[in-house]
Amino acid sequence: MTILEIIGSAILLAGVGLSFLAAWGLLDFPSALARMHAATKSASLGLALIAVGAGVAAESAGLVGIGLLVAIFMFLTAPISGHMLGRATYAAGQVSGLVHDDLATAAPQTLTFRPDERGRPSPTRMIPLVIIWVLLWRDASLGVWVGGVAIAALIELIRRRRSERVKIRPGAALVFLSRYLWMVAMSNVRVAWEVITPRNDQIREAIVAVPISCASVPVALLVANAITYTPGTLTVELTEDPLVLYVHVLHFESVAAVRKDVAALEDLVCAALVTPQPA
Amino acid sequence: MSGVLTLVQVLLGLAAAFALVRAVRGPNLVDRIVALDLVLLLVAGGLAAHGARDGSQLFVGAVIVVALVAFVGTVLVARFIEWRDG
Repeated sequence: MTILEIIGSAILLAGVGLSFLAAWGLLDFPSALARMHAATKSASLGLALIAVGAGVAAESAGLVGIGLLVAIFMFLTAPISGHMLGRATYAAGQVSGLVHDDLATAAPQTLTFRPDERGRPSPTRMIPLVIIWVLLWRDASLGVWVGGVAIAALIELIRRRRSERVKIRPGAALVFLSRYLWMVAMSNVRVAWEVITPRNDQIREAIVAVPISCASVPVALLVANAITYTPGTLTVELTEDPLVLYVHVLHFESVAAVRKDVAALEDLVCAALVTPQPA
Repeated sequence: MSGVLTLVQVLLGLAAAFALVRAVRGPNLVDRIVALDLVLLLVAGGLAAHGARDGSQLFVGAVIVVALVAFVGTVLVARFIEWRDG
């Protein structure tokens, strides 16, 4: 076996291990939301690892590229489906056995998406779309490029956005990304450990209201998604005015502890994004 | 190498069997959709492993398509549950 095959196999096995434990947790965990923590998120990271590992093991740059594309795709979609499933579970009244529930007493005014700017095709925003299109075709002929530009222009035309401008500070964004990836890895390990150990006595579910002190919608959205991608925590609801996240946690110790963890993440995000303060 | 890939595919198959048990047992729609979402992610993983085995890039497009179907389907059903019960 070559070095690349060994590295690829290690990544593959890590991915398949996570996926397997995700499925095991689906059988083992006591409530609907706990099962979701174990399943959707671990499995999406697992699939990302499998796709990248398969490319490395096959020693194919093309396959690694597509694997990375799969990883980015899972990273973008898993928080969205996790958040929506969490909300649906709560709406369906399937959340039981909570030690603490801030959402029950709240009169949440849900954050609604109010697009106030019609999308104009912007060449810089179209570039990544065109590149992904060509990568997916794995064919750089003229027709594929033309098709990619046409599709990207169409997406840009029908897209609407809130007019909040966000700038990214590269250094702080890198700090956030590395700390966050570490958090994701650790919480995946923790939930996997929970699945392996026979008793679930560490599971104490709760929903905690966490005010966002940074008071900017993009920061709140990024924090909400980051929380949702880590197993063990899940954003169930996000209200605007004031900005409050309602976070479902698997290992509840105290309200203060949950708020402290989220605040640490929020500080990192707040440092990475420059947003205009609302008047 | 092919031993590792066989192990990967066997484990993915077992995991999919577990998920299907949860999909049948329920007890409610959220559990079933989470389980079926997981099945599709496992299928996508199996396709990626198969792509590594025969070196063809034919299956890689399918990985993305299956993952996309899983995402869209899950979001759609979550919306439906919220609309029905919310």
